[in-house]
Amino acid sequence: MKRYDMIIVGAGPAGLSAAVEAAKHGMCVAVFDENAKPGGQLFKQIHKFFGSKEHQAKVRGFRIGEALLKQANELGVEVLLNAVVTGIYADKEVIVRHNDTVRHVKGDTILVATGASENMIAFPGWTLPGVMGAGAAQTMINLHGVLPGKRVLMVGSGNVGLVVSYQLMQCGCELVGIVDVAKKIGGYGVHAAKIARCGVPFYMGHTIVRAEGTDHVTGVVIGEVDEAYQCISGTEKQLDVDTVCIAVGLSPMSQLLDMAGCQMQTVSAKGGTVPVCNADGETSVEGLYVAGDVSGIEEASSAMIEGRIAAISAARKLGYLGEAPASEEISKLQASLEALRQGMFAPGNRGKIIEQTEEGIRISNSLLTKGYLEEQEIERFPGFHTQKGIHPVIECTQNIPCNPCQDVCPRHCIMVGDNITALPVVDENSACSGCGLCVASCSGQAIFLVNDSYDQTHASVTIPYEFLPLPAVGTIGVALDRSGNPVCEAEVLSVKANPAFDKTNLLTMKVPKEMSQKARFFAVKSSEQKG
Amino acid sequence: MLRIENHPILGEIQKGRLVRFTFDGKELTGYEGEPIAAALKAAGVMVHRYTTKRHEPRGVFCAIGRCTDCVMCVNGKINVRTCVTPLEEGMDVRTQYGVSRQKPE
Repeated sequence: MKRYDMIIVGAGPAGLSAAVEAAKHGMCVAVFDENAKPGGQLFKQIHKFFGSKEHQAKVRGFRIGEALLKQANELGVEVLLNAVVTGIYADKEVIVRHNDTVRHVKGDTILVATGASENMIAFPGWTLPGVMGAGAAQTMINLHGVLPGKRVLMVGSGNVGLVVSYQLMQCGCELVGIVDVAKKIGGYGVHAAKIARCGVPFYMGHTIVRAEGTDHVTGVVIGEVDEAYQCISGTEKQLDVDTVCIAVGLSPMSQLLDMAGCQMQTVSAKGGTVPVCNADGETSVEGLYVAGDVSGIEEASSAMIEGRIAAISAARKLGYLGEAPASEEISKLQASLEALRQGMFAPGNRGKIIEQTEEGIRISNSLLTKGYLEEQEIERFPGFHTQKGIHPVIECTQNIPCNPCQDVCPRHCIMVGDNITALPVVDENSACSGCGLCVASCSGQAIFLVNDSYDQTHASVTIPYEFLPLPAVGTIGVALDRSGNPVCEAEVLSVKANPAFDKTNLLTMKVPKEMSQKARFFAVKSSEQKG
Repeated sequence: MLRIENHPILGEIQKGRLVRFTFDGKELTGYEGEPIAAALKAAGVMVHRYTTKRHEPRGVFCAIGRCTDCVMCVNGKINVRTCVTPLEEGMDVRTQYGVSRQKPE
């Protein structure tokens, strides 16, 4: 039986990061993945990640995946694909089914990084073709380049629902709305805001009553819910859609660990049944580690750190790394992980109602219920100020661990500070040159450049723009406000692309002066944005 | 058209060779190596199979080979997960009825 220092189950962000780290320390590693391609869900993540530089903030997920794979290849990590681990037995014996053969291998340590699966909700019509997981839709568009349908309803307003909604719009689907039984949007406000300003309605406190159609979805009925989450009769509304995407959370895929005899626990904040583990990710079975979503639903950024911690801990256990250097490395990584677990959306805050930011500023209720900030609310946040000439307006109003805006500004106009969940502050007398790096670097697309004195009667507003086709300079269209309503005529002054912007184009439009704090999106024709 | 020609972030989607295959005997085209389900979706095919007892339609649901909703009869073999099975030239893809390739009378 072939023996490895570490057997890794799952070649996603956690598993690959662990493999790279273990290989760096000279360990002999095998990675098994049931899929035909490595990377887990990373290659579907085409949005920019949050965090700070050490967490690869402002880098798109699939690029992180490419870099990780390259590193793994350079270190000679062996990834066996189409390889299903069917069981982990006593003395860390692992059974792998590969094509039509079954292999037995043994690991001195094992890391299970199997990720998560999507939760579902059942409603009349939920089995009809056209109803699918949000992850399924994301797979179809971002991996296979095929639209799941043309008119989509998203069920679920958490980050998966919001991110996939935006990605569906980016490739040409019409998003008819986002439905959630919760009264408040679950994901980041900035993710909601970039959808709302395209005119997509949020149906909060609503449920999906049924999907209609005989052979596939031809429509859907939604309705408002009462306190018991039952549809209130008379509130039903019919929507014309061909696709319904379900994004109602993820559950850890921890079955292998349960089978291996790990002590398990069900923790709602972790998304379901997970193994009990220590800070290194080691379970109650010595030498059997977990990392990533299988140990509790979080982000890919934290999964990558957890994978590295587990690998270092295993290297120490097997004598590849001394006690002192291993402990030092682990505490550095744990500090980095801790930084990601701060702020309003921290795992510990799940389900809590937060009314104020860390700075003591009242959270926008409109943002939580409709997906956008009311104009008069912006002023109470530190990213807003007015000054002569061009300057950034930062509509970042929730404490999320993220600071690329501070890092990229060549003139140091933006301050987040050492506490990376703090809201960015724009310097009163910013020497903004209008370079736009902050606009493109903001993973939440919440930064705009405003120049109130473009000319006597007009202001210019620069917005991040990630749609095709790019409007030509000189195009006359309409400016939309934060809710997606057309507010005035707008002329495209410039559309800037730059490798440093990484596909976030900067569209600058000319609008009447009094519209500079209203205009936040551009549409060629208003009828194309409102469905 | 359900294929994304040009994507604002991913640019042009890299695809394999355009090949012919059949769906219930009808000739369709798709890209070699993409999941059979992707080629069917691009051709507008929604129903992959009908359930055994209630003859209800099923299509792509998870798209990652987990739920088995999208199984079809491929080259005479039933229960093939079309969302994770790469398309090959000349494949014979058929709607599955229950666990059979035959449409019930």
